[in-house]
This record gives sequence, structure tokens and C-alpha cells, in this order.
Amino acid sequence: MIKTFTRNDLIRYIYQETTKEENTEIENALIFDEALCDELGDLQLTVNGLGRIERSPSKGSIDKILSYSKYYNMNAVN
Amino acid sequence: MRKYSVSDSQLISLYKNGNEGAFADLVNRHKNKIFTTVYMIVKDQYLAEDLLQETYIKVVNTIKSGRYNEEGKFLPWVTRIAHNLAIDHFRKAKRYPTIVMEDGSNVFNTLEFSEDSIESQKIKEDTHALLRDLIKELPDSQREVLMMRHYMQMSFQEIAEATDVSINTALGRMRYALINLRKKMDKLNIAYDKNLYQK
Repeated sequence: MIKTFTRNDLIRYIYQETTKEENTEIENALIFDEALCDELGDLQLTVNGLGRIERSPSKGSIDKILSYSKYYNMNAVN
Repeated sequence: MRKYSVSDSQLISLYKNGNEGAFADLVNRHKNKIFTTVYMIVKDQYLAEDLLQETYIKVVNTIKSGRYNEEGKFLPWVTRIAHNLAIDHFRKAKRYPTIVMEDGSNVFNTLEFSEDSIESQKIKEDTHALLRDLIKELPDSQREVLMMRHYMQMSFQEIAEATDVSINTALGRMRYALINLRKKMDKLNIAYDKNLYQK
């Protein structure tokens, strides 16, 4: 029997919060449910795009952080 | 999600024993996700840089003084500190985030453009800047869940507890955030296949 999934289950699936059993059931359902499959594709495409828009801090900021840690014992006020 | 041969908790253990190189690995491993989270809130490169430094001062103080909770996950913990500092900044200033121009953003952009032509680099930069703007346009509740899950890597259960809603509401908000983003992208005719998803 093919279980019916909610759209919210797809979100959990994309973010790997489903169990192995749920994954198998969802992947089976995707074979027979074209609309579900289409929505998963759309959502996945958008999620993939989010990973590509990360920004990076300047090297100067990272150097300051590492320097603070290195000289912590001299700087510590707590 | 990327897997590392040395886990965050192993790096923290090394760091606690005085290995500053382990701390450098930890900082570099997560700097972009944390910085992106802060930037999305404050929308200002220089302010985000300051807040990132403040965040890590707290991290260093906590770990070096032996107050770090081993049971928690490192990245969600750090990102939560960063998130709270960014929110605190606006509370103190008693104003809402203002939209600033993205002058100079290319300098800090981490996207890999080296093998592209100048023209295609420009298209990619414009497209990514546009997508960032589209995220900023999402309703607060949707943007909040999207940032917490995608950049802060909190689970939906953790988000539900942090925002005092059911897990289904958190999932629904995330789903609508993604659907709305796609609609906005379609409306603007963003060539996401070409510009976002190919290296």
C-alpha cells in the first residue's frame, strides 16, 4: 500500500530529517505520484540555490578572531 | 551536508588543550554560514564583520573558561549567539534594519567564478545579489525559519520550540518560504538553472 505524504514531509525529507523507513516510503511514493515528484524537484532546486549565496567575511576579521584567541590569556577580563 | 574527517567536537577538544590550529579550522569551516546569517539580518557588510568578531569573542571566552556545553552542536550554538547579537544590535539602536547598497560585496563573495568569463561572472553576481534580496522580502516568519534551518542548521523541532509554534507550522513556513522564493524568481525570470546551479 502506498502511503500518502503531506507536503511538509517533503521538507523534512530534503533536510534529511526523515527516518530510513520514511525515506523508503517517500521514494516509493515519488515513483507513482508525479505531482509530489515535481514539487520535490522544485523545492530541491530552490534549496540548492540557497547554498550558493553564502557570503564570506574578510580575512581581516578572521585574523582578529584568531588573534583574540591566541592572546586570550593576556586579554581575558572575565 | 558536508562531512569532515575531524568532527567539530574533536576540534573543540583539541582547542581546549591549547591547539589554536584546531580553532582556526573550526572558524574557517563555519565562517560563511555564520556570516551569511548575520548579514541577512543586518544587511551591512561592515556591521556584519563586527558582529562576527563579537560572536567569536563570546565563543572563545566560553570555551576557554570551560563553560562550553559539550552536548550541544557547535554550529547551531554559534549561529544562535550571532543571531542574538544581531537582534540585540537593533534593539539597542531602536531601529529596524535599513537596506544598504551592496557596494564592494564582490570583494567578499565566496562564489567560484575563476573559470568564467567576466560577463558570466557579472551575471552570476547579479543573480545571487537578487536572490539575497528576495530572501529579505519574505514575510518575517518565513525568513526566520529559512535562516534558522538553512544557515543556522537548527532542526525543525528546535525551530518549533524556539519560535513557540508546532513543528507542522515550522515546516509549513519553510515550505511557503521556498515556494515564495521560487515564485519571485520565476516572476523576475531569473535564469536559476544557468546561473545558480552550475559550477
